[in-house]
Amino acid sequence: MLMPKKVKYRKQMRGRRTGKAWRGSSLAFGEYGLKALECVWLTNRQIEAARVAISRFTKRGGKLWIRVFPDKPFTKKPAETRMGKGKGSPEYWVAVVLPGRMLFELEGVDLATAKEAMRIASHKLPIKTKFIARAGVL
Amino acid sequence: MQQIQVEGKVREERGKNAMRRIRKSGHVPGILYGGKDGAVALELNARHLGLLFRTEAGHNAILNIQVAGRGDEKALLKDWLVDPVRGNLLHVDLLRVAMDVRMRVKVPVHTFGEPAGVKQQGGVFEMVTREIEVECLPADIPEEFRVDVSGLMLGKSLRLADLPLDPEKMRLISDPKILIAHVVMLKKEEEVAPDAAAAAAATTATPAEPEVIKKGKKDEEGEEAEEGAKPEKSAKPEKSEKSEKKEKK
Repeated sequence: MLMPKKVKYRKQMRGRRTGKAWRGSSLAFGEYGLKALECVWLTNRQIEAARVAISRFTKRGGKLWIRVFPDKPFTKKPAETRMGKGKGSPEYWVAVVLPGRMLFELEGVDLATAKEAMRIASHKLPIKTKFIARAGVL
Repeated sequence: MQQIQVEGKVREERGKNAMRRIRKSGHVPGILYGGKDGAVALELNARHLGLLFRTEAGHNAILNIQVAGRGDEKALLKDWLVDPVRGNLLHVDLLRVAMDVRMRVKVPVHTFGEPAGVKQQGGVFEMVTREIEVECLPADIPEEFRVDVSGLMLGKSLRLADLPLDPEKMRLISDPKILIAHVVMLKKEEEVAPDAAAAAAATTATPAEPEVIKKGKKDEEGEEAEEGAKPEKSAKPEKSEKSEKKEKK
């Protein structure tokens, strides 16, 4: 699963999820893409589940790009712990996704296959998404 | 080259609230610059501009801007801003063009046909470069470059130098060695057996943490690590000190 190899600090502050993804919102590599329409902290498990769904449906044909990377640690306190005593320990990693962000890009498959692969992948994600194709493809 | 008529008027207002009102009224804020004249802020008909994104000529179509009180001006779409979620056009930058001056434009490359490397050898066709830069007169700007890739075998590539360009009309600006497309064999993903997958899931339940980059010199690192290893011990005396203070009070 995706996670950073090295980090400067083990824990991070939560931050805010306001605004739209003005960067990383257009197709940069592939012919088709899956765009986020809501903001979310996408976990590395969700990203992996969507990736597996796409690669299984395309039967490993085509080329896939993952346009988000989970570089934010998500911390959690152990169960039945009293409040205080500092921040919990890192549990998993998340990618901060804003509306408009391109999540996946695909190339080397036909339109119908790409559409269906992205539809299946979208079911693995906790947000609304939109299928995108380059101008002239649709 | 296709020409599109776009109606507009000079924009006097500035700021986000005014721009919001303009967009709501079916117009798109824009700016016209280049040439000998200065920059002019405009509001343009959104429906006319929308044609630009739906025509075959695409972004390289020449626009005939009809500005009330200023006459017609020929322009080319230089840059545009689109809402990342809704996809509406928010702003356009238009560049004045003189029909007798050569200019640099980016022209899209489209391929057709199924490569033999994909059909017969099971490779994957990958498009690397989608736009190339050429220099030509505005009237000679091609809508697109269409390339037949049906003869492309596995491991073979198509470069810019292979494109059929008319040397009298246009000059290639991009490097001719640039790769346009190729047929490659993708790395095969290892199939994970169900048992192995379950074992992997168990190990990933408690993922190993990444390495934390430490500050300072290497000599200090050892000391920091020693200090870091005993945080609880150092914390306890502080508490005892506090309790002593309370008792004194």
